[in-house]
Amino acid sequence: MFAPPIHVAACGAFTAHGDELATLDALLGGRVALQARPVLGTAGGDLVPIALINGHDYDETLSAGWLDILQKLASRIPGEGWGGPRKPVFVTGSNYGVGHLLAYRRHGDSAHLDLGTPHGCVARVAAALGWGPDVTTISHACVSAHIGLLQATRMLHAGLADEALVFSFDFITAFVAGGFHSLKILNADFPEPYRDRPTGSIGLGDGAAFAVLTRDRGDVVLEGQALHNEMHHFTANRADGAGFADCLAGLPAVAAGRRVWIKGHGTGTLEAGRLEAQALAKAFPGAPLVSWKGSLGHTLGSCGLVELAVALAAMRRGRAPGTVGSAAPGFTPEVAFDGFDLAGFDAVVCTANAFGGAHAAFLARHA
Amino acid sequence: MPERWITALHTDDAGAEDAAATRERLRDRFPRNATRRMTRLGIVLGSVLQPLEPGERDALVYASTHAETHALEDYLDSFPTPSPTLFQTSIHPSAVQQNLIQRQQPVREFLPLTGGADLPALAVTAALLSPATRVILCGGEERGGWLLDAGHASDRTFAFALALSDEPTGAIGKISIQPTDLAADAGSLPLPAFFDLLRERRACDLTLRPGRRLVISWT
Repeated sequence: MFAPPIHVAACGAFTAHGDELATLDALLGGRVALQARPVLGTAGGDLVPIALINGHDYDETLSAGWLDILQKLASRIPGEGWGGPRKPVFVTGSNYGVGHLLAYRRHGDSAHLDLGTPHGCVARVAAALGWGPDVTTISHACVSAHIGLLQATRMLHAGLADEALVFSFDFITAFVAGGFHSLKILNADFPEPYRDRPTGSIGLGDGAAFAVLTRDRGDVVLEGQALHNEMHHFTANRADGAGFADCLAGLPAVAAGRRVWIKGHGTGTLEAGRLEAQALAKAFPGAPLVSWKGSLGHTLGSCGLVELAVALAAMRRGRAPGTVGSAAPGFTPEVAFDGFDLAGFDAVVCTANAFGGAHAAFLARHA
Repeated sequence: MPERWITALHTDDAGAEDAAATRERLRDRFPRNATRRMTRLGIVLGSVLQPLEPGERDALVYASTHAETHALEDYLDSFPTPSPTLFQTSIHPSAVQQNLIQRQQPVREFLPLTGGADLPALAVTAALLSPATRVILCGGEERGGWLLDAGHASDRTFAFALALSDEPTGAIGKISIQPTDLAADAGSLPLPAFFDLLRERRACDLTLRPGRRLVISWT
């Protein structure tokens, strides 16, 4: 049922707190990166919680500030020849450079157009990072990074690649924040924390991350990569939680004999949060469940890889951050609000969800 | 190297057809009034996807370079009061979701890809690597409006859906990725050209990636 295990040779990230180690430190310290900003940027609008990486302007500029951030992140990727023979790249995201289309529509500067489409944006990134032509672009909203990891795994196990790079980014703009705000699911009461209360509590954040996958090199293994798409509603899950359960169905067997903790999706959407927490508690009774989006914001299409990088840093450090930016009551007793020691744990289950009732999950453990 | 049998192919070439004409031409394929809420791409894609009756165990690979161009254009034009409906609809890969949500049809694997001139090769590779017994490879574009005028949208509307099986029963063709010389020059096969190739059932043997050829044959 599942792809065979695959090794993670390297993994790193940038969030509004900094790289994955700085992010881990911030989360362990309980710090929240989200700040109240006008949803339309310089055009004003309601204040909504957004966490930006230093160097990224909320209103898109030329040259694109986010490209410098990606170059800084890419400088940490080991090896050369990415996108060349037997070293494919899988770029994953949700919005790519679409904020530049809004900038074009506002200001009429056609230079924004080349960055506004996913393929134009990725072509610019590939050129800037010196990648060859073997670059696959995946766009399935907030499960995109999980799909990139799965496709890279399949390429490696099919013998079509020696190493594979999964590269993920999403930078928040008025395009996406305006859309989320129009759906009335951003935290209108910020800095009121994410908790089981009558209104949703999403914040949005910039994120970028990479992972180098190999068949046999690296101190961490991914296995049990699972997908499920409910196709029930664009922005709602089946009320019985079946979509969450179907995605998780095979994972307890993969985790058998291991003591796991769970890095959930945990955006702050009220119903989805409750269904997710209940499904995870049923699949992994007693396993502590955390979400970091109350601090980092929801980093959208990059969240699966950003949060994997932070989870692996936590595994190496031996301590996991709790559900920062939230407060009791939680949806289930398993929700961990405070950080905890990982000495007794063997593995972490990582999950992500997306529009359309899309679900993704995998288990990460020491090799 | 992976290969699969083509067991069904459906195409719709709406070309430069007016959106209202496309809606009228295909409305009987959908529940009453459903097309009023669907994008142009969602309608043409649904018309080729429905006959294959996607099921939960199928893997669905979707390829579109520009996706829901009109919803994107209209969403951008809705600022400073962005439309929640257009926001949802403009998100890649909404065309497939419009159809499967309408049918309340879950699928385990849904792999939406986007890209430029090499998108078909990447989508075929993803389809061939899936372990599902049946893979549906589908895709398409819709003719743009002001984004087309700006040179960043498709100039035609079309959709295709291929059923790919690991069994030869009922096959109408075969599709594979074959090894080739790493130094061989890679060609280009953007989505509209791939669509024309399928629609006309032309054979194909093209080096599209470093060390890999896309080979399609028809019976």
